[in-house]
Amino acid sequence: MQLEAQTQPTGGFIRRKLIAASCALLGSSVARAGDGVGDTVGRLLEDWQIQSALAYYHEDGRIQAVEPVITAVHESSDGGRLGLNFTFDALSGSSPNGALPSRELQTFASPSAKSFSSARHTYNIAPGSLPADPNYSDARAAGGVDWTLAIDRLTRATLGGKFSYEDDFDSVTASAAVEHDFNEKNTTLSLGINSENDFLQPIGGAPVPLSEYEQFEKTGHKSKHGEGLLLGLTQVMTRNWLSQANISVDHFSGYLNDPYKIVSVLDTAGSPVGYLYENRPGSRTRRSAYLENRVAGARTSAALSLRYMTDTWSIHSETAQLRLRWWTAERDQYLEPSVRWYHQTAASFYTPWISTTVAPEAYASADSRLAAFHAFTYGLKYGLRMRDRLGSFGRDTTEFNIRLEYYEQTQAAGPPGPAALRGLDLYPRLKAMLLQFGFSY
Amino acid sequence: MRFPIARSRPLVVAVVTAGALLTAGCSSIGVKPWDRDLLSRQDMRPDGNGLDDAIDDHMYFSKEASSGGRSFGGGGCGCN
Repeated sequence: MQLEAQTQPTGGFIRRKLIAASCALLGSSVARAGDGVGDTVGRLLEDWQIQSALAYYHEDGRIQAVEPVITAVHESSDGGRLGLNFTFDALSGSSPNGALPSRELQTFASPSAKSFSSARHTYNIAPGSLPADPNYSDARAAGGVDWTLAIDRLTRATLGGKFSYEDDFDSVTASAAVEHDFNEKNTTLSLGINSENDFLQPIGGAPVPLSEYEQFEKTGHKSKHGEGLLLGLTQVMTRNWLSQANISVDHFSGYLNDPYKIVSVLDTAGSPVGYLYENRPGSRTRRSAYLENRVAGARTSAALSLRYMTDTWSIHSETAQLRLRWWTAERDQYLEPSVRWYHQTAASFYTPWISTTVAPEAYASADSRLAAFHAFTYGLKYGLRMRDRLGSFGRDTTEFNIRLEYYEQTQAAGPPGPAALRGLDLYPRLKAMLLQFGFSY
Repeated sequence: MRFPIARSRPLVVAVVTAGALLTAGCSSIGVKPWDRDLLSRQDMRPDGNGLDDAIDDHMYFSKEASSGGRSFGGGGCGCN
């Protein structure tokens, strides 16, 4: 009796709980189904941070490029991390071939040409204009993965690999790094190494260095190899100040020429009598020091980075970049202006032209990227946090942003050249604009 | 081929010494774990400008003679 008396209400209680639980489950399922695709995607990406961007790059009168980028990062509670990234570039436009402007009409052939008569296309450069191949186009697909494993509470190891594929260029890189925290995780020391192997299959073949352009002397494929080491120190200075210092060295050897760059050969009057394919040294070692400081306010932050780099080609460069960020009071929007200054000296073998009256050097390049110049970049970015605008899909890191940058490179005034070249723009400025749309989740 | 670091022994010695001194000196600075609210913000992380930096670095890599420093540079032809 006693058992029955107690069993009846207990069974009813359990039954009511089961019914309530079933209804709750059913209701929850219906509600979730009602939430739609956004919630489903949200659950699938629950442990991942996604960043994506679409960039449009445009140079004044030269190259333009479209570049979609996506990265995905998964971080686990034990300090492990998996990062994936993928980039695609499509470039087209006019690419300077290294020759100087002239008072005369200049004619060049496509890189694939074996002779002027059999060239797929030739292009004429009007007197006074910068010689550039107007049919330049290229596409690049690149991707990478890095995997960080927590060795213990204070030590992490990272292994990485990346590839880059173009019609005429393949690159494979492997890297490894280890980092260790000290001083209650206020100090982090890191050491990284990498090894890069590049394979070049220039369109039409790799030209024989310093051979005459009109002879079309070209050989097969080329390669180059690089290795690098990077030592880093990150230090929490105060509650709102983080400092980072890196020192790195890398060494490349092999075919370091740009297979599409030539150098004008001028007579004493300044008229082009021909062109030679460039030749650079077969090895290059670069050393750099990098310092970055980040400071935060309640609704502001600033990041200042400085870099000094020097190499065995006698190039020295200095870079300074400042980014500021202002958040609105609601912390759902920010504005980020930035400015970057860059300066470099010329490579020891850089020469705008070769004179017929001077014996040629062993190395020569007229590539303006190896010239002395300075450059400014001005940027502005606007970010909008979407957490409260996307319902259940939104989360703290969900953000839409748009970025605009203007880049201007000004070459140092070089030698004025022979009389015939006076008044021509031998060292033209490069102006470029970048427009980027980004979405983070 | 010798690894380039072998030719940079003075640099390595200087870096290791500076790192040791700095690490020792840094033991007196820093914050407690509960004071990291500002430092945990995305714009205060060393890689806080990840995609922007990657896109900018690719542009500079194709137009300038220097690259890297923040991390390993390179990764492309840059022939344009």
